[in-house]
Amino acid sequence: MEFTNIEILQLPDISKVTFKRIHKDYLKVIVLSIVTLFSVLFLTVFLLKKNVEEIREFAHVNYIYLVLTLLFFVLITAFGVGFSRRKYVLRDKDVTYKSGVFIKKITTVPFSRIQHVEISEAPLSRLFKLAALNVFTAGDSSNDLVIKGIKKEEALKIKEFINQQING
Amino acid sequence: MVNDSLFADFSNQSSKGIVVIYAKLLFKAFKATWILLIIFIQRFSKFSEETLLYFYIGTVVFLVFFLIRAYLIYKNFLFKINDGQFVLKEGVLKKKNTSISFDRIQNINFKQNLIQQLINVYEVRIETAGSKDTEIAIKALTYEKAQALKMALSLVKKKVQQLELEEEQPRPLLKIGFNELFKVSLTENHLQNLLVFMALVFGVLQQLNDVFIGIGENDVLGNYADVNPKDIFNSMLVFVVFTLILIVIGVLSSFVKVLLFHFNLTLFIKDKSFEITQGLLTKKSIILSKGKVQSITISTNPIKKKLGISFVTFKQAASGKVKKQQHKLIRIIGCKIAQINTIKDLLYVNRSVDRETRYIPDNYYVLRMYFRSVIGISILNCIILFLIKDTTWLWANLLVIPVALVLIHLKYQKAFYQFNNELLLVGKGRVETHVVYLPFFKVQNIKIKQTIFQKRRKVVNLVLQTASGKITLPCVEENRAITLYNYILYKVESSKESWM
Repeated sequence: MEFTNIEILQLPDISKVTFKRIHKDYLKVIVLSIVTLFSVLFLTVFLLKKNVEEIREFAHVNYIYLVLTLLFFVLITAFGVGFSRRKYVLRDKDVTYKSGVFIKKITTVPFSRIQHVEISEAPLSRLFKLAALNVFTAGDSSNDLVIKGIKKEEALKIKEFINQQING
Repeated sequence: MVNDSLFADFSNQSSKGIVVIYAKLLFKAFKATWILLIIFIQRFSKFSEETLLYFYIGTVVFLVFFLIRAYLIYKNFLFKINDGQFVLKEGVLKKKNTSISFDRIQNINFKQNLIQQLINVYEVRIETAGSKDTEIAIKALTYEKAQALKMALSLVKKKVQQLELEEEQPRPLLKIGFNELFKVSLTENHLQNLLVFMALVFGVLQQLNDVFIGIGENDVLGNYADVNPKDIFNSMLVFVVFTLILIVIGVLSSFVKVLLFHFNLTLFIKDKSFEITQGLLTKKSIILSKGKVQSITISTNPIKKKLGISFVTFKQAASGKVKKQQHKLIRIIGCKIAQINTIKDLLYVNRSVDRETRYIPDNYYVLRMYFRSVIGISILNCIILFLIKDTTWLWANLLVIPVALVLIHLKYQKAFYQFNNELLLVGKGRVETHVVYLPFFKVQNIKIKQTIFQKRRKVVNLVLQTASGKITLPCVEENRAITLYNYILYKVESSKESWM
């Protein structure tokens, strides 16, 4: 890697950048959606147990509650830890997002390669005035960058900034 | 020779286009109804004369209807070049107006299917990098007009001076004759081709079967599947013969495939682009400009290596799922080393990458593959023990385990990467060997992934997303990956060249 010996000193280093966390209200969105999901699950099991003969006679039916409860806490913990890992940063020429508990990921998209930027608002996020920023590049779009859980005003500002960079 | 005013006003395609459109309509109709036709012919004698009369009248009405439709499609298909835009008006009932600006045109290809070859017209396809809907095909143009259109489209785009006349064809860089084609087809991946062929055959049989069951006939396939060997020797014989037949079919289907797609393959190099012509029934001529190539892959396998030939695959920008866009891959078969070097020289100025230090993935890469195959094989054995409950199947391990070991070993051995200031070179493959050349500035976005197991080992996966698919460097040492990450971003962000 002889070429980097000179240049590396001047290159901006992604591992030394201070990242910004996503908005803390998004944790509420995550918790709320997990709670909703598990309420539905518990209710289904409860209703099934009450109404279906075979399930009531099934000896291990209470274990289902146990498993569900365990799963609930595992998910809440994982997403709780994962939430503090969701960070993003905008630099002069690119946007970066990192996340992940079991698989850590960091993605950078240079502005010069962005095809377009989109802002989307999921129903739950809208309650907290949060939005997601989608950045699209050419080619297979499933690998592009999405930052969920930033304030809508900020998302709009970022979008505006990126659009300026693309066209400017 | 080049006359822009030729396309200044809306013009039709060649009147022979009616034939091409008509044939296409008929073919489509035939494809939709061929099973009905077969049934009809089978019961021909059972119909009364009156029914037959109706049938004939119906057929004639259909033929005339399609002819009128073909004429209308032809009449309503108009195109012109206006102000840096290619404008197309089409549609009989549903009118459609498309305009494409020149800088969005990815390439202009000529194509000739059987009918177009017979009446000597060319289909001109204008491909863009955008969605599939914006791809335009002009069904029938004379050779002169097709050339003129191509010239007009590329001339306005580049604003270059008059090009020299077409008669001075340069010598082709590569021309594959029939004998060579045959040799190349022997080195194909026969297993894959066999599977494709089988899928095709079974598809048709299935369709036939459905219809015959639907009208109350017995299973037509049933009679052929009734092989009942009496002893072990017989079943061994059947097995051997069956395998031999499969091998022959596999080789034959490879040969037919290669012949169909690559017949008379010729590759020209003209200042900044490749011109590729190939195909038997459908002749395709593709102009590929240097800047639009996202990456190239050079593939070979042990037999090809013996013969000293490789394949070169050019990848262009694709939209949506890359796997569905196979037609945007352009493959050149049967390249010799000198020819590959010429191609590389044309595409990449700084080729020193071939001599750079070779980096191989961390040991963890091979450990992970072992771990995964152990899990896979355990699951297989569990299925045999608990679901099939027939211990003779356990002998399959004798085959599966060595094959898995060899494949893992090969895959690890062939994985490497090396790079210089401009270019990245990635090696991969199991039985086949693939080497990908990717200029750093063609990268669209870049990602590092690290599982918790990789974290302990301090290795990461580096994923480079390009407009023609992603390229993964598995299990790269963490610090080196970050250095590369920073360097690639620097290259992309400081590059002034257009990525397409």
